[in-house]
Formats: sequence, structure tokens, C-alpha cells
Amino acid sequence: MTRPVTLLALLVPSFVLAQQNVIEISGANFRPMPIAVAIPAVQDDAARKTLNEFDSALMFDFSACGLFQVLDRKSYLAPPTEGVVASAIGFGKWSDVGAESLVKTQISSDGETLHGDLRLFNVAAGREDLKVSEAVPMKDARRLAHKLANAVYKHFTKETGPFETRITWSRKSPTGRDVWLADWDGHNAVKVTNGDVNVIPALVPGGGVAFTSYRQRKPWLYVGKPGSDPVLLIGKAAMVTGAAFSPDGKKVAVSISEGENAEIFTANAADGSNLTKVTDTKFFLNTSPSWSPDGKRIAFVSNRAGNPQIYVMTAEGANVKRLTFQGTYNTTPAWSPRGDLIAFTARDERNAFDLFTINVETGKIARLTQDASNNEEPAFSPNGRLILFTSTRSGARHLHVMTFDGNNQVTLSIEKGDYSTPDWGP
Amino acid sequence: MSEIAADSLLRPRPSGLTPFVMASVVGHVLVVAVWLALSWVLRGPAISLDQQPIKASLVRLGKPRDEKLLPRKEEEPAPPVKTPEPVAAPVKAPAVDTAVKIPSKDAKPDKDSKKNAPDAKKSLFDAMNKAGRAGKVEETEGAADGDVNGDSARQEGERYYGLLKSVVQRNYDVSDTIPEAERRTLKAEVALWIGQAGELLEVKLSKPSGNALFDEAVVGAVKKASPFAPPPPNLREVLKKSGVAIVFRAAG
Repeated sequence: MTRPVTLLALLVPSFVLAQQNVIEISGANFRPMPIAVAIPAVQDDAARKTLNEFDSALMFDFSACGLFQVLDRKSYLAPPTEGVVASAIGFGKWSDVGAESLVKTQISSDGETLHGDLRLFNVAAGREDLKVSEAVPMKDARRLAHKLANAVYKHFTKETGPFETRITWSRKSPTGRDVWLADWDGHNAVKVTNGDVNVIPALVPGGGVAFTSYRQRKPWLYVGKPGSDPVLLIGKAAMVTGAAFSPDGKKVAVSISEGENAEIFTANAADGSNLTKVTDTKFFLNTSPSWSPDGKRIAFVSNRAGNPQIYVMTAEGANVKRLTFQGTYNTTPAWSPRGDLIAFTARDERNAFDLFTINVETGKIARLTQDASNNEEPAFSPNGRLILFTSTRSGARHLHVMTFDGNNQVTLSIEKGDYSTPDWGP
Repeated sequence: MSEIAADSLLRPRPSGLTPFVMASVVGHVLVVAVWLALSWVLRGPAISLDQQPIKASLVRLGKPRDEKLLPRKEEEPAPPVKTPEPVAAPVKAPAVDTAVKIPSKDAKPDKDSKKNAPDAKKSLFDAMNKAGRAGKVEETEGAADGDVNGDSARQEGERYYGLLKSVVQRNYDVSDTIPEAERRTLKAEVALWIGQAGELLEVKLSKPSGNALFDEAVVGAVKKASPFAPPPPNLREVLKKSGVAIVFRAAG
């Protein structure tokens, strides 16, 4: 009996001592991943002609998406002629400049088609994590870059990247305002309208753009595509504005004004039929509808409380709930495709227009822009990570993009002009 | 002879300063006595060495912001707008992947690039940071007849683990590329062993999170934080043989 007890007495302390102490650490410092994007390698003269377009699109995608901190190429220690396979890469040199990931691309042409290869390396491990090849017609060098960048985005986030999505805007023209359709970076822009005043465009889920046009003297809702005449979708009352399509593309919500009153209506998106009034306030304005991602609710602006505030209701107009109680001029709500946030424009006590988000559940407001002139008209990217908006920070109203929390504000590198009411779609 | 003695410089002479010296001595004694008496009467609260430090937050003077106003950002104004980087000149590529040459050992980056490289400053900060971390901790030895689990030894251990936690936390950087939904549940455990001088003997991922990026980040956080301060004597054996585990959670 004594022996087992003695053994136990000897074992227990050693067992206790062998136990590892445990330290708990929570709350990581999330920050954009430092990434090096090497100058693309070019294999022939035909591909060389597309290099600038390809490279600028690739750099913009990585720089503007907010996930990466693209390291300045001037700091790169590796020679520009360094190879694109792991065995040819001096990873120490990339590690020395702070890169955690390295992107190497090369483009080549067979005369009609432009081929692109992208390799993504984990610098610390000296390992190739991703290899992707794409091919496009020669004229689509930017699209090739977007496709390759999307593959990297998906590799990290498991989500579809925003680089092949489309945006639309209204821009001042000599005869009024025109609606344009472009890639997410503002390039490859084509006119949807040609003349008259065309404003507040919204991307139609199945293709095309809906917008309010004065082409028949009255501001009614049309749907158009580049190269074809717009078709009237809703022509009723004095003014039809602020079209917003439900996520399934079956319904369109608009604001229809008559006299000093404006109400929200919904209709069939295909032909404008089944027009149904969903707000009814008689003497107030109800404008700027925006659908929740599940299509069950609509956010909108109403001045029923004396000044413009953001409200939420069901798609049928029930359970109207005021969302904003701070500020006296809150407009242009845009419901995030993730569902949790609504971005909006607000005028603050200094009379500056800035962008904010409000958490739909908690009502907590976060400021996204500040002390950078006027910033208005937010539109979420289809994945909800980015916001496109207009700003007068560099003079005329221009288009900018930032992350949903207001970081990484980047100007679209497109021609200067008076841009307004952008929208973003798949 | 007596005249000589009378003229000697060593002859005692009556001094007029004696009363003043005496008065000064008495005066000083009185001042010291009064000071001692007053400090006894007006003594402050006893200082406790066990007292925890008091943390104070400085609050800006001013009126609280009206709750009906929109919030303002606390940080600096929005950074200047970025413009896309100019596209670099085209570079001739090798014909095929396998034909790519490995840069020779003699190849040197151009001087300007090196001058502009941010790594120089970074290295300096890293070196200073590491130098600071490697600073020797005050060693509080226990008494010769003390208990192994004595209080002072435990406090020293707690202090060391606190220090360890703080330096690893400073290096706990995780990429933004991890989706928000995934961040809420990410958890990994790392085991590490530390030598007498604070050097990292071994680190391994004992419980992976399932997300390779996060797993690399937590192991990287430990590696970047090392070398650590030398462990106190009572922890040396434990940290060398049993090591310590760190549980990392992505969410705050």
C-alpha cells in the first residue's frame, strides 16, 4: 500500500510541472497584406503593346481593393529580369522589402489572343501558392489583368473578386448629362445615352442601365444599352427617379413625384407593370429606395419627421422604422449586399457632405469620410467590401472608391468631369 | 621665555565668535527637531509596495459632443488620395519558364532602389525593438529557505508571462484578406520553448485553425517577437523543457 502511494506522490508533482502554461491572446491586428507585384514579363512584341494597359489594370486592382498594401516598385531589390518560377526567385530579396506575397505575371500573344499567366508566391515559405492562366482577345488586355487579379482575390477571400464588375454614372455633357457604363476601374467606358439630360442610373441585373431621362420632356424612367435606343419603363406622373432593382431582378422600386409629394412605388422590372404604391404620406417626400440583399426590405429617405432621414420598411411598405436620429440631412441610402450596413450621405454641422454607415441592427453610425471637401452618393460593390462615391476633394465631382469602413480612398484614374450618382453591379 | 610664550601664535586667546557658534548649533538642532516633529504629526498614508498601479485616462477638456450630431473621426484627417502608380517600362521576358536564369550572386540592386528601400528604416526599428526586448529583466532571487511556490517567485513568473504576451501581441499581425465571417471563429494554439537567454528554441503549431494564412500569422507573431527577455530562474527549466502554449483568437 505504501509503495503505490509513494509512487503517486512522486508522479503527481512531475505531471503538474510538465503541464504547459497557457497564455491567451485575442484581437489580431488586421492590416492589408504587404504584396509585391513584379513588373510583368513580356514574351513578344505584340504582347508588349498591351503591357501598359495590362499592368496599370493589375496595379489598380491590387491597390484599390483594400486587401493589399502594394509595395512601391522603387523599393524592390530583385532585378526586373528575375524569373517567374519559384526556383528562379530570390525570396530573401522580396522578404527584405517587406513582402509577404509576391505576384509574378507574364503575357504573350499568338497574334489574335493575348495569354496571361499569374503566379502567387508565399514569400516566407518560398512556395508557389497559385498559378492561373487566362486568354482574351488582344484588345482586352485590361480584362485579362482583371481576370488574373480576381483569381488572387478569390484565393485569399474565397469570394468572387470585384474586378470584372461594372459601374455606371451620369456625367455632364455639352448637351446635358449622359449615362455611361464602364469597368469597375472606370475604364472601357461607353455611353448608354446620347444627348438630353439623363440622370440617376441603376444597373439592371439582367444587363442594361435604367435611368431617369428628359428625352420626352418629362423625367421618366428608361432602360438602355450602349448602341441602342432607350426604352420607356415607367412613364407616369410628373417625375420618376431613383430606380433600384431587387436582388433577384424581378422588381424595381422608384420614387414617383406629383406636386410636392413623392412616394415609393414598386413594379415589375421587366415591363414596369403592376405599379404599386408602398409609402403613403400625402404631404411628404419619400425617395431614394434601396433594397436589402434578401429583397424583403427597402431603405429610403423621408422628410416626414421634418428633415430628411433614413427609414426602413418591408418591400410591401409595412413596419416603417426610422433608422437615423443623428444629423438633420441624411440622404442616398445604399444597403450593403452583406446586409449589415447602410451607407448614406449626410450633411454635418459644418455644412459638409460626408459619407457614413449605419448598422441596421444596432443603429451605430460610423463616419467614413471627413475633412476632404464634399463626399456623396455611395454605391456598394457587389461583394460589399468597397464603396464607390463622388467627391469634390480634387475640384470637380469625381469618382472614388474606398473600403466599406472608409479606408484606402482611391481616385479612379479616368478623365476629369462632373460625375454623379454612380451605381455598381455584377 | 615667558615673553616668547606670550607672543606665540599657539597661545589660547579669548574668541568673540563662541556665542554665535553656540547659538547656530542650538538653532540647527531646534530646526531639525521641529521638522521631525512636524513630519511625524503631518505624516501621509503609508506606502504599500503591494499597491497596484493606478491607471488614469486623460480626457480632453470641453463640452461633450451633442448626441444628435453626426460623429466625427477621432484620428487624423483622411490621407491624401492615392493615384495609381505609373506603369514601368516593358521588360523582356525569358522565352519559357524553365529558361529563366537565377540571378547571380554578384548581382546588386541599383543604388537608388536600395536608398529608397523602406527596409533600411524598418531594420533599424526592428533592431532597436529587439534590443529593447532583449534587455535583461530584474532577477528577484528567492530566499535560500524559501518555498518553491513562494509568492515572490510566482509574481516574477506572472510578470514574465505578461511580458511574453505583450511582445507577441505587438507582432500579432494578420492579413485583411481573411473574410470577416471567418475571423469570428478563428482560433489556433502555438507551443514554444524558450532557452535561458530568451532565445526561441522551438515553435510549433500545436492546434491549427484550419486557415493557413492565420496559422502562418500566429507562428510568425512568435518568431517576430523573439528573442525574448531571459526567463527568471524559477521558469528556466519549465520554459526549456515543457514550454508554454499561446492560444490565439482572431476576434477581439
